[in-house]
Amino acid sequence: MNLGNLDSLTFFYPELILLGGILLVVISDISLKGLRDRVNPLLTLAALLLALFYTLQTDHGSAMTLFEGMLALDNFALFFKAFMLVAGVLVLLGSLHSEELAAVHQGEFHALLLAVTLGMLLMANSAHLVMLYLSLELVSLTSYIMVGYLRSDRLSNEASMKYILFGAVSTGAMLYGFSLLYGMTGSLDLFAIRDALLAQEVVGFNQVTLMLVVVLTTAGFGFKTAAVPFHFWCPDVYTGAPTPVTAFLSVAPKAAGFAILVRFFLGGLSQPAGEQWGFISGIDWPLVLIVVSVLTMSLGNIAALTQNNLKRMLAYSSIAHAGYILMGAVLLTGTGLKAMLVYLFVYLFMNLGAFFVVTVIFNSEKTFELQDYNGMFRRSPFLAVAMSIFLLSLIGIPPFAGFLGKLYIFGAVIDQGLYWFAVVGALNAAVAAFYYMRIMKHMILENDDRPPTPLQISPLNRALLVLLLVPNILLIVFWSPIDRWTANSITLFGGL
Amino acid sequence: MNFLEMLALIPLFPAAGALINGLLGRRCSRACISTVACGTVGVSFLLSLGAFYQLLGRPEGQRLVEQELFTWIPAGAGELSSGAISQFLVQWGYQLDPLSAVMILVVTGVGFLIHIYSIGYMAHEGGYARFFTYMNLFMFSMLTLVLANNFVVMFVGWEGVGLCSYLLIGFYYERKSAADAGKKAFIVNRIGDFGFMLGMFLIFTAFGTLDFTGVFGLVETQAQAGVLASGDATITAICILLFVGAMGKSAQVPLYVWLPDAMEGPTPVSALIHAATMVTAGVYMVARCSALFVLSPDAMLLVAVVGAFTAIFAASIGLVQNDIKRVLAYSTVSQLGYMFLACGVGAFGAGVFHLMTHAFFKALLFLGAGSVIHALSGEQDMRRMGGLRTRIPATFWTMMVGTVAIAGFPPLAGFFSKDEILWRAFSSSQGHVLLWAVGVLAAGMTSFYMFRMIFLTFLGKSRMSREVDSHVHESPKVMTVPLGLLAVGAVVSGWVGIPHLIGQYLHHLPQYFEHFLSPALAHPAAVEGGHASEGLEWGLMALSVAIALLGLWLARRFYLTHPALPEHLVSRFKHTYTTLLNKYWVDEVYDLLIVNRTKDLANRLAGFDNRVVDGAVNGSAWLTRLTASVSGFFDYWIVDLAVRRSDLIYYLSFPLRRIQTGVIQTYAALTIGGILVIVGYFILT
Repeated sequence: MNLGNLDSLTFFYPELILLGGILLVVISDISLKGLRDRVNPLLTLAALLLALFYTLQTDHGSAMTLFEGMLALDNFALFFKAFMLVAGVLVLLGSLHSEELAAVHQGEFHALLLAVTLGMLLMANSAHLVMLYLSLELVSLTSYIMVGYLRSDRLSNEASMKYILFGAVSTGAMLYGFSLLYGMTGSLDLFAIRDALLAQEVVGFNQVTLMLVVVLTTAGFGFKTAAVPFHFWCPDVYTGAPTPVTAFLSVAPKAAGFAILVRFFLGGLSQPAGEQWGFISGIDWPLVLIVVSVLTMSLGNIAALTQNNLKRMLAYSSIAHAGYILMGAVLLTGTGLKAMLVYLFVYLFMNLGAFFVVTVIFNSEKTFELQDYNGMFRRSPFLAVAMSIFLLSLIGIPPFAGFLGKLYIFGAVIDQGLYWFAVVGALNAAVAAFYYMRIMKHMILENDDRPPTPLQISPLNRALLVLLLVPNILLIVFWSPIDRWTANSITLFGGL
Repeated sequence: MNFLEMLALIPLFPAAGALINGLLGRRCSRACISTVACGTVGVSFLLSLGAFYQLLGRPEGQRLVEQELFTWIPAGAGELSSGAISQFLVQWGYQLDPLSAVMILVVTGVGFLIHIYSIGYMAHEGGYARFFTYMNLFMFSMLTLVLANNFVVMFVGWEGVGLCSYLLIGFYYERKSAADAGKKAFIVNRIGDFGFMLGMFLIFTAFGTLDFTGVFGLVETQAQAGVLASGDATITAICILLFVGAMGKSAQVPLYVWLPDAMEGPTPVSALIHAATMVTAGVYMVARCSALFVLSPDAMLLVAVVGAFTAIFAASIGLVQNDIKRVLAYSTVSQLGYMFLACGVGAFGAGVFHLMTHAFFKALLFLGAGSVIHALSGEQDMRRMGGLRTRIPATFWTMMVGTVAIAGFPPLAGFFSKDEILWRAFSSSQGHVLLWAVGVLAAGMTSFYMFRMIFLTFLGKSRMSREVDSHVHESPKVMTVPLGLLAVGAVVSGWVGIPHLIGQYLHHLPQYFEHFLSPALAHPAAVEGGHASEGLEWGLMALSVAIALLGLWLARRFYLTHPALPEHLVSRFKHTYTTLLNKYWVDEVYDLLIVNRTKDLANRLAGFDNRVVDGAVNGSAWLTRLTASVSGFFDYWIVDLAVRRSDLIYYLSFPLRRIQTGVIQTYAALTIGGILVIVGYFILT
């Protein structure tokens, strides 16, 4: 079912609310000189929560497209929209007591956060190549600014510049892919493209072109998800950006990248066949994606081994996790897709949690260096235990939530008979355990001679830590709602 | 107010009291604790009275109120023995019918008086809040037991009272004997509980429900349709298993051994739990299941024989006990035997009648004994009492009333209920002249040991030590007033069930009690037919009074007029005496046959554990170490070589870092290179 422009507005409340929120924040930033530091976060939070409320309320009956086929509205999109908004809320709360951001004026930061969230919401929905490109650019451009938000900080500026340049290269490649696709099929609508490809029975010369299309567009998605070999920007940018922004980048745009990757490949280039999707005209594409996935996680994990800067280590770690998530996406099965969603969901809490601890420690210590974490357990047992739980969750050790993600992913892979793939994944998890444990070792076992001075944590940050800890601990017990939700969310609009 | 709709509140109030005292009791004053504990039970009593009154106001056919609060266990489908599928669904529900109405009145009424009495009795004891918490918890459990509308909720109450009994017997847990007695009660009760549980399982597989109305309705319709014949094997099995449960809870042979030891608890506990209420739960349960029992003459016979045997067996032990509470304990066991005798001959109503009257006079006797013990600073041995009549007159007179009542002298309560049982044992088609004879003999013994207790305690010369003697004092009002009220109950509670025989001369007084109960109970078809002549009934009644008088005369002769006689008899029948004094050596036999054999088994299992299980563990540890050393060898020479090379993974990290030059041009070039590699791969394949 395709809805016209006016009818679509009913299902567009979350985006409209964010849009309104952006405007309000900008206006209040200009007009309320004295109050803006208090009003802006509240406005932002209200907009995000209201949008989240409407997203969860959306009852679209059946999957459909909005705005004359520009956006697809299905359970898959709703999952990602809710995901982005939750991530937005958590990052907002995490940024409130960040010393890095406190040094600069924060008015635009909140507007940018809303804008980037809006972009990601649209990314998850896009069913049209133009829409896809525009929303991706909206996310990218706002991210560039957020990365360079610390104007007086050289590293931040450099990171922003690198991000822009690298993004330009990747999106350029992606656009070239899109143009080729348009040339071949005469359409920018994903479902029309698929129908054209199905009708034309692409052979010979055209098949190589199609291959080129796939590789080039993957560059665009790979840039967002930071998959090898499109990940190079990632460590530098993550290190240079303010930590709350890093945390945000490591979770939300990455998830959005996966959303469009899945929608592009499954919606546009393959046909649903029961539980499984088949790629059009037998392209040996999954193998490439599998290789990319293996490379991504291996490179991420191995490079993280020798890092001594926490932020950089977590940057590489997030590359590795993108590899795991990709494992689920490349299977082209319902279980694989579901596993990917579960993994993303638990990743949200464990990764944001780890980054948040880093933020809190930086607030008082002004350092990201590992050896400065020595004796943290004696200085703030709560913080050390919280970090340990996040790290154990990232390793995938039960009973923490990360285990659930790995369980689903490896289960889906084994389900497809790709045992070696699962083994590689498991070996990677073992390698990853090394550097995660290293952080714990520094925090808990290593003490320097200084007498321990208690570390101050603001009540808000403490509450947020608890908020992030709860899902990490409890999801393993209450996994059935997650299981049901994700199982329900893999229905993708097929354009039929 | 419609009390019938507030059934759930009756057990809820004591539960709230237990919660309050349990959580906050340590910080409250004693006055506050006792107010909460007695107040909640008092409110329950008032609610019960109201509910009883309104139930009475209903027409006879509609005296059944059910109230289902919530679905407790929706466990899903189960297969019945008939092959049908039935949902196992348990509602948390209460029901009030004449039977449970009588029970809640007895439980809350007697319970309330005992709570009041406890204020005085426990005034100088530690663990005040703990005591009242347990007591209230007991009241909640007991009320749940009698109000339940299905077997599962009843079982919750059943286990709850068992737990409270354990906790209260072991109230003075610093004393080893008390702790041991608590454990003994709990373990022996568990044996009975298994019977109850198996009975429940069997009921579900046979009928597909555990609701009382459901089960008994099905039994009735199936019996009428001829599907269930009298003597059906399944029904017999169910009844016997349920009766095993009743044996444990109501202290019948062979599971009675815990009750005398339970006297280690504070005396109000003995009165409430081990005389008036909890131990009668078995009788209540058998009466509740009367619809099942009437279909199984074999099970009925077992109940009657066990009851009669317990009655005389316990009474004979009671003849020679010297501890005032133990006499009463064996008396309780014996009286419970009477109740089962009644149930066994099909006179469930008479059993419940005796249950009610017994609750009054036995609670009275226990509380009186408590008052004596209180007066004598803890002395319990009757050989060191005597001559207390004038010293503690209120206690003496009330206990005297209780004794006359239990001995079966008209017109006190015990006479009517006990005579009813004896007459039914004689006249019912399921009765037998032997059962009657045993009952009469036990009645004579009862009269004897009860008056023996009175004479030894209150009459004759004082045998107390000077120290104790100087401290003798009458108990405070808070203890004697409940005694007085219970004494009134012990006199009048029998009048609601005056037999037709006597009633016809008293303005045609009907047999209110059994008439009231009859809708809730089943009646064996044959019982009503067994009418004997009026003259015979008068004769038997006179005989039972005569034998009670004989007991009184013997006791007087032995312990007042000819004090040398008992010693003479003891030396003459030395073996009989020692056997009785040592309670037929039953505890020793149990120790020998069961307890020590269980310990042996445990020791042997421990030995098995040590040698075989631990051996296996140690062996596997040895095996593991062997494989470990083998694999260590392998490790050292093969894997380590690989690992020494595989530091590579770690060192690989450095070139990977090296790639990350920070120069954006390099990055772009590498990315484009990556794309080209992939494209190249496709073009080449």
